[in-house]
Amino acid sequence: MGKKERDVRMSLQTLKVLEAFLETPTEQLSGADVHLRCGIASGTLYPILLRLESAGWFVSQWESIDPSSAGRPRRRLYRLTTTGLRRAGEVFASFNRGVLA
Amino acid sequence: MSQRNVKSVPAGWMDGLGERLIRHAARRAPESLSQRLQEEWLADWAARSSTMSRLRLAIGCCWAARVIALEFQPSSVAAASPAVAAGSVSAYAQRDSGYFSQRSGTLFIVLSLHSLLFYGLITTVTHFHVSAVDPLQNRLLKDPAPQSLPLQVPSPLLGDFKIEAPKPDFEVPTELDPRTDVTTITDPPPPYNPPPPTQAVTQVLGGPGAGFPNTDDFYPPQSRRLDEQGVGTVQVCVDAKGRLMADPSMLQGTGSARLDESALKLARAGSGHYRATTENGRPVNSCYAFRVRFQLKN
Repeated sequence: MGKKERDVRMSLQTLKVLEAFLETPTEQLSGADVHLRCGIASGTLYPILLRLESAGWFVSQWESIDPSSAGRPRRRLYRLTTTGLRRAGEVFASFNRGVLA
Repeated sequence: MSQRNVKSVPAGWMDGLGERLIRHAARRAPESLSQRLQEEWLADWAARSSTMSRLRLAIGCCWAARVIALEFQPSSVAAASPAVAAGSVSAYAQRDSGYFSQRSGTLFIVLSLHSLLFYGLITTVTHFHVSAVDPLQNRLLKDPAPQSLPLQVPSPLLGDFKIEAPKPDFEVPTELDPRTDVTTITDPPPPYNPPPPTQAVTQVLGGPGAGFPNTDDFYPPQSRRLDEQGVGTVQVCVDAKGRLMADPSMLQGTGSARLDESALKLARAGSGHYRATTENGRPVNSCYAFRVRFQLKN
């Protein structure tokens, strides 16, 4: 796993996504929420979410609601894994930007 | 978990377009992700507040589907299982490096096309700018060729018209009257009397006379050192008293400019010492030539 984590390529947009999750590491965010927090366009955002999920930094699951009763479709929610939290902290520490513990 | 007050799937032609774009984009994603992405994107699309924002999301999803299709193998990410997703990182890493190399190639092609278009634009603009103003040029205009007008001679108006001279009322005598014959009354032409022969004039041409300068006195020293010798002919015009009436000139050169100049100096110096030409013993103004010899003596 550790070797695979190193394969994640960091870009400015990836850092913004990680920063959005690191504000409240335990919170689950949908793509729409991440877009509202960091303003990344959908064409860039969703590949990054899938990329980080594939690398084991995120896990995702469907929102546990009944779409018919809620009157809207269920959303896909992402959350930082323990590994993702640690790796994201290391990445931001290497950039001297500071990370919430 | 973010719980925002989202409304249900909006209606309208732009929203219909956006929804169709999202469904189309999701179909272009890997098959294992297609259903998941479609549901996820439609949910996020419905969460957007404005129509334009939803349309931008739909367009972005088209691009995202293309990127995801390039990056992910169909089995690299499970639709809902984090464990399977974690297990497919290796495949993703291999695709990741391939994707970036392919993306770099695409970027290179795009930049090349832009450079080519820019070069073509600059070249075209420069060409039109240069050709818009013709430089000033001198052009030789040919004289118009003289047009030879056809000589049109008007045809005589007479044509076949014949002029008939009226017959005289008198009769012309056919035999000559010897008394009125002009040949018999014409005087014979006077005999040709040649002019009396003119009287012969005895002319004696003049030349250098008594007291004329010596040629050796005008021999250029440099010509002496260089052993220059020659004979020239000087033309002079002399009055009756033996004086020059005009500047002398060389009728025939000596072959040396220095000797020619000295010959002219000699001729000028001899003014007043020329012997005038005489006609019947009487001195008259005349022009004649005489020879000047420059010869070194041992």
